[in-house]
Amino acid sequence: MKKTLTSAATVRVAFISLVSLGMLVPMYLLVVNAFKSQQEILANPFSPGFGSATFQYLADAWNNPDFSILKGYGVTIALVLCVNALAMAVCAPAAYVLARTPKLLSRLLLFFFIAGMFIPTQVILVPVIFVLRTIGLMGTMPGLILFMTATTIPFTLFVFFGYIRVLPRSLDEAAAIDGAGRYYTLWRIILPLMRPIIATVFILNSLSVWNDFASPQMILGPGSGVYTVTTGVYAAVGQYSTDYTKVFPTLLLAVIPILVIFIVMQRHIMSGLAAGAVKG
Amino acid sequence: MERTAASKPRGWRDLGARVSMVVPAVLIYAALLVVPVIYAFYYSFTEYNGFPHRVPEFVGLDNYRSIFESDDMTGTMVVTAVVAVVGAVAVNLAALGLALLLQRTNRFNTFGRVVMFYPHVLSALVVGFLWQAILGPQGVVNTMLEKVGTDSLPFLSDPDWALWSMILVIVWSLFGVQLILYLAGLQAVPADLLEAARIDGANRWQTFRAVTWPSLASTVTVAVITSGISLLKTYDVVVSLTGGGPAGSTKTLAYSILAVSFPQRDIGVASAQAVLLIVAAAVLAITVLVLRRRAEDDAESIG
Repeated sequence: MKKTLTSAATVRVAFISLVSLGMLVPMYLLVVNAFKSQQEILANPFSPGFGSATFQYLADAWNNPDFSILKGYGVTIALVLCVNALAMAVCAPAAYVLARTPKLLSRLLLFFFIAGMFIPTQVILVPVIFVLRTIGLMGTMPGLILFMTATTIPFTLFVFFGYIRVLPRSLDEAAAIDGAGRYYTLWRIILPLMRPIIATVFILNSLSVWNDFASPQMILGPGSGVYTVTTGVYAAVGQYSTDYTKVFPTLLLAVIPILVIFIVMQRHIMSGLAAGAVKG
Repeated sequence: MERTAASKPRGWRDLGARVSMVVPAVLIYAALLVVPVIYAFYYSFTEYNGFPHRVPEFVGLDNYRSIFESDDMTGTMVVTAVVAVVGAVAVNLAALGLALLLQRTNRFNTFGRVVMFYPHVLSALVVGFLWQAILGPQGVVNTMLEKVGTDSLPFLSDPDWALWSMILVIVWSLFGVQLILYLAGLQAVPADLLEAARIDGANRWQTFRAVTWPSLASTVTVAVITSGISLLKTYDVVVSLTGGGPAGSTKTLAYSILAVSFPQRDIGVASAQAVLLIVAAAVLAITVLVLRRRAEDDAESIG
């Protein structure tokens, strides 16, 4: 009995190790091949190649005239911050009111927002282009920020709603008796209590904004000359996908910031995702 | 009751404050998500090339008819359905299976979870380019095969292989998220029920069938819907991994909308395709919800 148990445990450990290996090998290849020449990559893709490693290809990718990766980081970080700020600024008050008004109208409004979670956002980009053109924001960062905010509103609002609803109502009532208005109550009483959920939403929305490709590709377009990390990678690598001295270094530079953030904050990101899913 | 009493003195000012707190969210959401959906429906019944000075011309169901009559576009729908169904099944089976194996929290398992989750933080576009460098005709795998002296394998260059290669890549990058969902769900399985099953002499499979699976009902619903919807709109990975080829064998509906119909200025057809996808997403969500409702009721009677 004991023996079968330990052998089952061995099989389990071996199996998980194997899967983990399958997950890590692509990342290993990405890292080691970013420092090698094309011949070396084609001859020995798996060798770490310490002897002949060179930073030249990374430097070339960094200085790519088609796409400045540093600018890409800047644009994408600005996008992440603006979308988060705007989404939270509009969703926190709305969620607060909806959570505190248990009337039919607010339930309908909530449902109207939640329905948005089931809309596959990238497929409505074509009509979005026409809407943005009508309001004069097509091909601009504000237009992109507004659209990406709209796509994050359903999730943000729903999660905020779920969180505020279970905060004790006596808090608001005490504030109301003291003469506080809705805005004051939200700002001084509710928001400070929402810190954990704000952190969760920030992480999840940031990931989806950082990684989005279709929206910046369609809304900014190549004409605007503004590239996010993803559209920049596409511009830099798209036509040269067999020139591995371009592919690996560019991809490595594109993923380094997000991977570093992930490794540092891995516990928060994963538990935030689980919490968000349980709430949703 | 107390509420009306409490809010009466504040009256109109409070109502004004409440309205002003909801309106910005409604405005942005309606203008950039709801209106475009309405536009998509409207354009789907028109012929329109997208030029500002041209008015969309009403053509009834012509766009839908041409979509269903064109082999190319029905093929697109089949590819999308295969990706969504096979992908969702594979993602959820892998995620649930590995979640069961990684349930206990120790260093080894935590490492496993992190390693399986990390592709989620990479964009699908990058994942596609990376795997293209691994599976492509000159990619890492084929280089190694040639070195060993075997023939190379047409992972991405043969229409019969490419779709499955793409699904493999999608599953690789996606199952980690669902793994985290299932791990969270497993935490909520009542420990006393598991204990009771053990005392009753149930084996692992019986325990899973009778206790774990029903308790996971709502997690399964969430995981299947979220993975299904994100698979229905597969676009980025198509762009970077296969470009829809070879011979359209990996062309999904979302790719066809953004990379074919729109550049060809076929706004009517692009919109009709978008409507079909929206309907498919709604049908998927509603079907899963209805199918799972009973299971979830069972779970509630257990919990």
